[in-house]
Amino acid sequence: MAYVALIPLLPAIAFAVLTPLSREMRNRVRWLGLVSVGGALALSLAAFAAVWPGGQEGEATYRASVPIAQVGGVDLNLGILLDPIAAIMLLVITVVGMCVQVYSLGYMHRDERVGWYFAVLSLFTAAMLALVLADNFLMLYMAWEVMGLCSYLLIGFWHEQEAPRKASQKAFLTTRVGDVGFAIGLALMYATVGSFEYDAVFAGVGQWAPGVATAVALLLLIGAMGKSAQVPLHVWLPDAMAGPTPASALIHAATMVAAGVYLVARALPIFEASGVALTITMIVGVTTALVGGVIAAVQHDIKKVLAYSTISQLGYMFVAIGAGGAIAGMFHLVTHAFFKSLLFLGAGVIIHAAHTQDMREMGGLSKHLPWTTVTFGAGALALAGVAPFSGFWSKDEILYALYTGEHYVVLVLAAAAAFVTAFYVARLWFRVFTGPAQTEHLKEGHAEMIVPMVLLAVITAAIGFTAPGFSKFLGHAGHWPDPLIAGGSTAVALAGLALGWWAYGRRSVVLNTRSLKERAGYAYDALAKKLYFDLTYEYFIIRPYMWTAEHLYRFDQKVVDGAVNGAASAWNGLTAASARFDLAVIDGVVNGLAGSARAAGRTLRKIQVGRVQTYQRYILGAVVLLMVWIVVKGA
Amino acid sequence: MPLLTLIVFLPLVGVAAMALLPKDRPELPRLVALGVALADLALVGVLLAGYDVGGGMQFVERHSWVPEAGIQYFLGVDGISLPLLALSALLVVLAVLASWNISERPAFYFAMMLLLAVGMNGVFVAFDFVLFYVFWELVLVPMYFMIGIWGGPRREYAAIKFFLYTLFGSVFMLVGILALYLHPQGGTFDMIALTQAGLPADFQWWVFAAFFLGFAVKVPIFPFHTWLPDAHVEAPTAGSVLLAGILLKMGTYGFVRVSLPMLPEAAETWAWFVALLGVISIIYGAAVAFAQTDLKKLVAYSSVSHMGFVMLGIAAGTPEGLNGAVAIMFAHGVITGMLFLLVGMVYERTHTRMIAEVSGLSKRTPVAAGMLAFASFASLGLPGLAGFPGEFLSLVGAWRSELIAPGYVIAAAIGVLLAAAYMLWMVQRVVLGESSAAVAKIPDLNRLEIGILVPLVVITVGMGVYWSSLLRYVDPAVTTLLAGMGAR
Repeated sequence: MAYVALIPLLPAIAFAVLTPLSREMRNRVRWLGLVSVGGALALSLAAFAAVWPGGQEGEATYRASVPIAQVGGVDLNLGILLDPIAAIMLLVITVVGMCVQVYSLGYMHRDERVGWYFAVLSLFTAAMLALVLADNFLMLYMAWEVMGLCSYLLIGFWHEQEAPRKASQKAFLTTRVGDVGFAIGLALMYATVGSFEYDAVFAGVGQWAPGVATAVALLLLIGAMGKSAQVPLHVWLPDAMAGPTPASALIHAATMVAAGVYLVARALPIFEASGVALTITMIVGVTTALVGGVIAAVQHDIKKVLAYSTISQLGYMFVAIGAGGAIAGMFHLVTHAFFKSLLFLGAGVIIHAAHTQDMREMGGLSKHLPWTTVTFGAGALALAGVAPFSGFWSKDEILYALYTGEHYVVLVLAAAAAFVTAFYVARLWFRVFTGPAQTEHLKEGHAEMIVPMVLLAVITAAIGFTAPGFSKFLGHAGHWPDPLIAGGSTAVALAGLALGWWAYGRRSVVLNTRSLKERAGYAYDALAKKLYFDLTYEYFIIRPYMWTAEHLYRFDQKVVDGAVNGAASAWNGLTAASARFDLAVIDGVVNGLAGSARAAGRTLRKIQVGRVQTYQRYILGAVVLLMVWIVVKGA
Repeated sequence: MPLLTLIVFLPLVGVAAMALLPKDRPELPRLVALGVALADLALVGVLLAGYDVGGGMQFVERHSWVPEAGIQYFLGVDGISLPLLALSALLVVLAVLASWNISERPAFYFAMMLLLAVGMNGVFVAFDFVLFYVFWELVLVPMYFMIGIWGGPRREYAAIKFFLYTLFGSVFMLVGILALYLHPQGGTFDMIALTQAGLPADFQWWVFAAFFLGFAVKVPIFPFHTWLPDAHVEAPTAGSVLLAGILLKMGTYGFVRVSLPMLPEAAETWAWFVALLGVISIIYGAAVAFAQTDLKKLVAYSSVSHMGFVMLGIAAGTPEGLNGAVAIMFAHGVITGMLFLLVGMVYERTHTRMIAEVSGLSKRTPVAAGMLAFASFASLGLPGLAGFPGEFLSLVGAWRSELIAPGYVIAAAIGVLLAAAYMLWMVQRVVLGESSAAVAKIPDLNRLEIGILVPLVVITVGMGVYWSSLLRYVDPAVTTLLAGMGAR
């Protein structure tokens, strides 16, 4: 089964081949990325078949590792662990990755750097595949950071404009705030266990000193919060929408941002040993689910709506894991990957057709974009949580986990988030697809854009029915939806959709938005300003740091270096006095050590001559010092 | 065959040859320099091929030199000195190529560079303190001339400051050396014998302080670093490459070769202080780098920050920390070498290093921009590239060490974030965006320039992916060193 190693290697090779080529050549062979991801998809299917039927027997179907270093006698490895959860992730990544590659052929075909785009997309795919196959935290971390680089490069792909340039930097730095926590967590883990291997870490987790499990878990959680855009580290994801839309679909909706969820799920034994860490995970998740949802409800940019929606849905996954429903969280990760990438791809077609991202300038698209309308509709219903679309099933499992875990307060909050979700889905739908068209010459997307969307829509419609099988595959008891929870969540979703229709479907949009602003001006303003997170960071972190840096530099010049120059001129004064004595002896050449330092303008020749004697003096001085010291010491 | 002697002194042949070259053939000096540097690199290749990874110190040459004082001609190489020696030989070749168009007194220039090579190679293989000191000081002279003659507008100030400041440090080192020699339990200049001397702890305490001053200036650690930005900004490109790539490592090498094994108890007592200055250097260097408007100064201050990580790893005194320290020494030489080379290449075209004036390189010169972005990401410690293993291991090693409080490690980890901040902000302004006026008409890198950078790119990726390519030499030596420290 050594072919498993090829799954991440194929796209990595595509990147390595594409990168050194000239731009023209790279553009010409851009299909290499597609071919490599296609190969990875085929191998992932084979790997999935090998793991089948999963369950407990599926634990570690295949393992392999190579040491990349030996430190203090301990091997640090790049290792592969193929088990059910990895097998599922492989399929999700390669299927969505393939869809996005094909779609991009159409979406990006006129860009002059299209070859580079595909190269980075391939590197990203390689890193994400390596991440889910990793058998240790070090390799996971390395892949995690490489994904961060790809995210940076793709967000800033159109760097001639200011917004993508700034957004890419913001994304890298914000996620790196999380990574600082992650790295410290790894250091603490290694200091405790002496290994990064999953097996070794989890084997002893029960015997760790009190508090260590909690500390490691929370530090890993900080990393996960950065990558998965959880409050308060979520601010980079909406800005990341400045990148090409298909890249957003793959990286900032389906896969990379879910890596934090995957990390917590992988490290679950540590979180379980802590207990407290699970509760905190849940609180972070539900806060994010609500914050993301309500901000999404006031956005006008269609991609920003989807971005805040992603933040909110990722929060849902954290809620699930925190409540003890890791399987439910992973299932939501899978369903969300498909329906959210579908929504992004649809948004790409819409943006191309309408030549705007502002939903207020859209409308009536359903008549002109039939394929997009139908497929987007499937994704929208899945997001809203309407049966039988996939989001219904996974959301139901999360709510069920909260119910059986007796987290009733969180259950109510999660239901509220589901209500808001359905509301903004309806708001988006009615603004974009119904009513009068505001643009002429609306065109449906190319075939290479539509086909992936249809495939994703089919998956979105069908995959929910695998819910019980999904649990069994991961070694847990599966079940069909609980009538009480399913009925309740459907009611909530329909209520949200109904409110959205009432507010936006009746084409009284302008009126309603205005009345909302009038009635709750302060609240609306706070939401429109994204609850002040960005402003807080700007005024309390970024600007103070810039101020500090500037002043430290001045301090460096005036005080630290000033002390050096001051000492030199003081020494100069001293030597000037003694030079009068020396004049008779050493023939007026010596101007003393720091006499030279002051005399920056003097000719080199003079200094060269003076140097040897200065040197001699130093050595003499040192020896004298030493002698004095030895005498004192001896006495 | 006395291979180490050949490696160390072969460049001296080049120095002598420079004096004999006809004055009317200005293209000859660079060819001779390149030939000698390549031959030296080839000899290091022979050394690498014959080196036994687990075999401790090798290629030993030991002869009596001044028997009256017990001074020996004592050379050897182990897993800590080997990578630095190899890096030195490689960077000299690249420095010669990067100086291909030097027109002012080329014979003198290349003679100085080869003389510098003698000193740099020698420091890493000398195991007699007198010999070590000679090589250590020998380095100052050619670098002084390189900055003072071929440097920028404030070259004389920078050259003298560099010379005197580091000389000031090495005087304390000399005191340390003599103290060890004069102590009844020391009594030798043999650097191996001194590791087994078992000196009393209170004596170690003072000697450690003396060596500390000597090494700290060279590294440089905050607050002894202010000569560095001046020297870097004024030095010619090749000078900066060798200064950052090799000369700074002499300081950290001194800590690993002298302070730890010879003064183990003092190293333990002083660990908190070394770590503290290391962490301050990390944060302070990163913050000050962020405030720079001059590209070269930014890279210079980033060196202060990176060297802080080396000090943290050394202070830790754990296998991870020391492996990490040596890994950063090597990686920083490669990566910062790349950065200085690129800054120089940009400067040659635009005649400015001001970040505000050099922007939007990628539009006009995609190859240079790509290389600069690559080097920047390597510098900020991206996993998969050479900067990561060292920084990561030094953090892990420091956390593992009982000598260092976790707070230091947390602060150092924040330094990783700050590194990303100053590097990305530089990339955003210099690499990305629309081209500025100064950049609008410049040509992209030529084949020679790309050829200079490619070996460094290959090493950066190779070491970043397969850490063992470096650490297989380092780890056994570190194990030996730590075992020696613990044995007493």
